[in-house]
Order: sequence, then C-alpha cells, then structure tokens
Amino acid sequence: MKALLLAALAAAFAPCAPAQDTLAVKAGKILTITGPVLDNGVVLIQNGRISKVGKAADVEIPWDAKVVDASDKTVLPTWVLAHSQGGMRGANEAMQNVPFIDIADAVDPASTFFEDCLRNGVGTVHVIPGNMTLLGGIGMVVRPFGRTVEDMAVRTKSGMKLSLQPQAGGRLQQIRKLRRALEEVREYMADFDRRKKEFEQEKQAGAIAADKEWTEEYDRQKKPVIDLLGKKLKGWLFVPSAAEVDEALRLAQQLDLAIVLGQNVQKAIADIARFKAPVVLDENFEFYELDDETQIEKKVCTARLLADAGVPFALSLAQNGPGAYPWWQLATCVRGGVDRRTALEALTVVPARMLALEDQLGAIAEGKLGNLQVLNGDPLQATSWVETVILEGNIVYERSKDPRLKYLFAEGPDSKKAAEPPKGDKDDRDGKAGKAAPGAGNEGR
Amino acid sequence: MNRRITLPLALLAAAASMAAQDQVTVFRGARIWPGGAEPIDNGVLIVARGRVQSVGGPSTPIPDGAVVQDVSGRQITPGLIDAAWCHGAGANDGNEQGDEVTPQMKILDALDPQDRAFARARAAGVTTVQITPGNRNVIGGLGAVVKTFGETPQAMLLKDESCLRIAMGAEPSMGNRAIRGGNVDSIYYRRPTTRMGVVWEVRKAMYDAKEYMERTIQNGAPPPDPGKEVLVRVLKQQLTVCTTARSEQDIRTALRLAEEFGYHTVIDEAQEAHLVADELAAAKVWVMIGAPSADRIAGTGAADGAAPRWSTLGMLAHRGVPFVVTTGSNLAALELVREASFAVRFGLSPRDALDAITVRPASLLAVDGRVGRLAPGLDADFVLWSADPFDPTAVALTTYLNGLATHD
Repeated sequence: MKALLLAALAAAFAPCAPAQDTLAVKAGKILTITGPVLDNGVVLIQNGRISKVGKAADVEIPWDAKVVDASDKTVLPTWVLAHSQGGMRGANEAMQNVPFIDIADAVDPASTFFEDCLRNGVGTVHVIPGNMTLLGGIGMVVRPFGRTVEDMAVRTKSGMKLSLQPQAGGRLQQIRKLRRALEEVREYMADFDRRKKEFEQEKQAGAIAADKEWTEEYDRQKKPVIDLLGKKLKGWLFVPSAAEVDEALRLAQQLDLAIVLGQNVQKAIADIARFKAPVVLDENFEFYELDDETQIEKKVCTARLLADAGVPFALSLAQNGPGAYPWWQLATCVRGGVDRRTALEALTVVPARMLALEDQLGAIAEGKLGNLQVLNGDPLQATSWVETVILEGNIVYERSKDPRLKYLFAEGPDSKKAAEPPKGDKDDRDGKAGKAAPGAGNEGR
Repeated sequence: MNRRITLPLALLAAAASMAAQDQVTVFRGARIWPGGAEPIDNGVLIVARGRVQSVGGPSTPIPDGAVVQDVSGRQITPGLIDAAWCHGAGANDGNEQGDEVTPQMKILDALDPQDRAFARARAAGVTTVQITPGNRNVIGGLGAVVKTFGETPQAMLLKDESCLRIAMGAEPSMGNRAIRGGNVDSIYYRRPTTRMGVVWEVRKAMYDAKEYMERTIQNGAPPPDPGKEVLVRVLKQQLTVCTTARSEQDIRTALRLAEEFGYHTVIDEAQEAHLVADELAAAKVWVMIGAPSADRIAGTGAADGAAPRWSTLGMLAHRGVPFVVTTGSNLAALELVREASFAVRFGLSPRDALDAITVRPASLLAVDGRVGRLAPGLDADFVLWSADPFDPTAVALTTYLNGLATHD
C-alpha cells in the first residue's frame, strides 16, 4: 500500500524528472556496451531519453542543445547494481520472518553511500534487505539522487529477499525454516480459499443473507509471500555457499527467483548453470582456497568460473575497501581471466536484465534512459575518475565541484601552500633524504 | 603434514638453482623499470649466478651461450619490497605480552618460513619484506628483513635486527586495566592505560638504558641486560626505531621522543603525515604509509582517530618527505603493487610509486647493496608482469628470487 503511494508520489514530484532540454554529449570515445565502440561520437538526450547516438559527423546537434564537452574523455552508461544493502541503517530486522517490511522505509537519501554511488558512476541501485534473514522484506530500485525516497524511486516492490544463510541452528535448520515458512502461507491460502468457498456455498444455500459479501482480505503480513508464491513478486534468494545450491534449484522450480551468490560457491558452478538465469556475484569473488590434501593455496576467481560455464553474472560492490570501486571489481574480473566485454556487461546489461529494466538501462542506445557517466580514462584503470554523471538528461554530479574530493585532496590546515601534484623526477630529494636519515641504520653491527 | 611435502620440493628447487647457477639468462624485449630511474623500453636484462649481470637498452651485448627469453610486450620491475609486512609469524606471535617493554624480543625467532603468506607475497611480486613485532607493546622488539623464499629463517635473512618497534597511540594501552588488588606482576594487569602512560613507558625505558650505559662506562660490566643493550644501541644511533604513529598527535609525540633522546626514528602508519609534513621534512624523518587503498570517503575512520587524506602521498613527495608505501598492519591490505596503484590514483607518478616499493624501502632498510634496483651485482630479484604493473588488470607472471623462478 505504502509502496504504491510512494510510486505515485515519485511519478508526480520527482525533481529528477526527465530534463526537458536537449543535452548533447560530445565524447572522445563512447562505450555503448551493446554496440560498437565509437570514437568521436555524440549522444543526444531528449526528454530524459537517448534520442541519437553516432559518430560526430553523423549526428547534428540542435542549436539550442546544452553541450557537455567530453571530446577528450570516455562516455559509458552509468553502472547498475543488481543487489545492494547501501544507503540505509540496519539491513535486517532482528526477527527472521518479516516478509511485510519494505526497504522504502529505510532508505536514507542523505546517506554518503548514494553520494559515493555518483562519484563512482553508479546510476541505478537495487536496495534490498540483507542476507541475515529468512523472508527479509521488500526491496526497491533507486537512482542515487534526490532529496526524498520518492524522488529516488525508479521502481518500488522490486522483489522479496529470501536467504539460506545459516543462522542459529545451522544450514539444514535454515532450509527447513524457509520451507516451513512458505508452507505455512500455502496452508493459510488453502484455508482462506476453503472458507471463502464455504461462504459462497452457504450463501447459495441460503444460510447466509444474499446481500452479504465476503469482505475478508488476505492477512497483510502474509500478502507479500502470497504474491511470491503466485510468481507476482520476484524472490531474491541469497545462496551463501555451494552446499545450498541444490535447495535453491528446488525453490527455483516453485518461485520466480533471482539468485544472489555468496563467496564460497566455486564448487557448484555446474549446478549454478542449471538455473539458466543470470546470477549476482558476491563482492569478494577473488580469494585463496586451501587444498586440504596438499596444503597449497590456490587463487580462485568465481567470475572466471561462471564466465567459463556460460553463466551471465552481475557484479556487486563492497560497502568499503577497494571492492567498493567499480573499476577495481571490473579489473579484478579481467585479471582473473574474464574477458573485458563480459566484465563490462556485469555492471550494465546483466543487472539491468535481472531488474527487468533492460529496455531502459545498461547501454547507450536510442530509446534508453539518458544515464551516462563521463570518465577521464578507461573504466578499468586505477587512474580513471568519474568526471560527470548524467541521469535522465540531468547533470547530477561533477567532479570539479565535489566537496569531499576537494577535502581529501586538500593539503591540510595550511592549504595555501598547496601546490601541484608530484611530477616524476625526485632523485635529488630522495638522495638527500636518504643521506640525512641513513635508513634503518644498523651500522654498529 | 605440509612440511613433509614442501621440504622435498624446496630441495628440488635448490638443486635446480645449482644447475641454474652457471647459466646466463637473458630477458629481452620487455619494458624494464630498473628502480630509481626511468623505464627502459625494449630492454635487456642479463642474469647470472643469481645476480644481475647487466641491464640496458636493446643494444646491450648478449653473451655467447646465454639462454635468451623473449619477453616482448611484458614489463619487468625489481622484486618489490614491503617495509612493513604483518605476516610471516604466527597470528599470535607478534606481541610478547609478558611485559609492555620487550626490546630484546626478536621477530626472527617467531618467523615461520612455511607461512603461506610468503607464497602469496611471491605471487604478488614481493621478494623482500621487513617483519617486526606488533603494536600491542609499547616497545615491541626487533624486526628483521627477509627474502620471501627460503627453507629456514637464516636462509631467508637479509638483515637481522633491522629496527626496534615502538608504538604510540591507543593500541599499546588498549584493553589494559588499572590494578585493583591481585598480583601486581600478573600479565593480566598490563599497564599503561593512557597515552601518557604509553609515553612514560618509553621514557622510563630510555632513562634506564641511559643509566645502564653510563654505569657501563664508569664501573665496568654491570649484570647483562639484553633489553637495555638494545636500547643503548638505539641511543647511540646504531639502531633505528620504527615508531607506529597514526594521528597527528601521535606523530608529534613520536618526533618529540626521538628528539628528546636523540635517536633515529621512522614513522610507521603515518596516516596524518599531511598535518605534520613540514616538521617531518625538517627532521628528515622517513614515513611509511600503509595500505592507502583502505582510505575511503564514506568508509570508517582510521585507527587512533586519524583522518587520512588522499593528498597525503603526493604532498609528501612534493615537500620532500621521504616515504615508502607498505601493506602495513592492515590485514585487509591488497597486494603491495595494488596499494601502490592506489597511490598513483591519488596523484603520485608511476615512477614515484614504483620507487616507493622498491629502491626507497631498500635504502630505508639499508639493504640497497643487495636489492631494490636492477643493477649489475645486485641480487636477481625481479618480477615479470603481464602489463604495466600499475594496470589493475596486470598480473605477476613470474617472480624471480636470486635468479630463480619462485612463482610461475
């Protein structure tokens, strides 16, 4: 109910409503993701949507268009996060079976997470309850820009969080609890339907007055699960390890599920392929695995294993540490042996497809939303920074005006002394310093 | 179990190294970063008997009978040096908690050559590390510089007693309690409990060492005291202190103590060095910056209340404060080369960043006669990278230690 209201409000009042003006982005390079890479291209955005993409020579820029000059930069679609717990406090209720709670009541538009999203080129985030739950509540898709949750809403009721994460009682207990929770609602529905049917029969038999109507509705606390069981609501199932994949496959036969993988799934890649659907990859997808027999460690890259098995995957970002940077996650994929295109798709078209927003997001193509990021370099390089973010034709982030970056790159209280960043050759200085402080000088020995 | 398997492997490797001893190997075609100098394109690196014979451009003469490896399109750097590496000894073996002042403790005695962290380090292109006691004690003990390959601590050792670890800030007093009855000498009643107490422990130890030194001069041999012997070497500037000090306050305290007692110190984990840059430059003190990747905008505050800034490394370079990049005490630190690539992201030139993990730590640790650069006569410790080492998609294809491939 509330979510419906939110959706209505979002449609009515969104200040990030599609820009009315025409925006033209001149790009040195356009990574369209689904199409070819365009050098010296132009993207036109009209009424918030991409109206034209092409080589500069082939696209006429309207005389009244606002122009973003990125002719020495790289332009990409903004990243799409298929699964995130950012931007709210408390990812899970202490109670496990809470299908009726809604993330829309927890999203904090002022959170630095959303600020960081823009800084990192993320334009769409699916926020959904965390993994420490059973039936964890409803998620929503937001744009990381806006003063209220209503402003930010892209889609409410994006799905329900289900989790097989072993908690008190262990793995089998969790599986049993989830089956039981779903079964209880099935029993409730059967009972409800039986009573309704009896009511109608009694009414027909004249035992109940003819003008009396059946007024009882489904229990509000159970309604989301009823929608889930009826495949009207998608389930986002967290599968913590290889051991739970079998149960997840069984559940996938009954429900409309998106699979969210935990870290230790590397031993069940073939089974994961049986979902025949894209999956969300854990934020830590490169790690060491110890061989119990030889005691030798081996580096595992689950992204590589999934790519080799032909399973499309969406990347997730960590809450902190380097895994929070899209460029780091993408580069980690490629370092692990995933090809560049698959990596880029894992933050664009694949998550867009998982969110059923592929007609709007994830690529630079005519008809899609005008969600672009301008980078000063390749998206897989450490030295690249997001210069500008455009959401639905509105410029929502500019690096040159980012106060936090200014702070982090300031030189401290005496910032007047601030000078150019270092320029390379520092031999003299190092030599001098080296002599003055003779290392961990242990000359006495 | 693992020892039974790996020991024969190590012996095999040793045998292979004997065979490789007389061989001259040439690596040709890569971009070579010699360390402390500009990279050489299409370079030639000649290795023999575990040492670098010569490094140069494409015209470098290649000796007869040499085995030539074409590594075109690859890049070669010196083996990386991590001046503050928190692995290699058991997880609980870095802090001797029998006392809070333990200058005589040697990390070398806790070093485990079978620690898997060494294999990880080699896979990441790291060939030399400094290991020190942890930060739980006020004066933790003596560090050591070791190579990341060898059967025994002695075989790995490059430099024993490379520094004395002293820690400022909250860590040495963390969890300590005031004495309320009970056995005062019990290790469960560790002191100090405040920053004041931490500093006093250093002062007291240094006063005691001074007195010990003077007594030695005046009255001949006093009862031997290994801890005080170590501190005497510090006071005589024969042994450098490595002081952990993260916040501005702690960095200033560390500098004050060094000045007060006239010892050399390096500031480790100097996250707020940007606030003390002028003083550090004036005192010509080296700083070690641990895991710059961990500093995030929306991340949590650093330890000891420090507020790191992304400008710190560039600023230190600009002000002429000598610094190195390390993985430090952060267990979530990335591979050293990745940490340096974050330094590049934050404004350091690639050349500066590479120097900060090769030639500069070598000079800081005074092992620059052996490692840190690719130059004739130095150990053939080098890394063959698939691409530019600061490209986050690059991997260390092979790590050579003393001319021997130790990770492939």
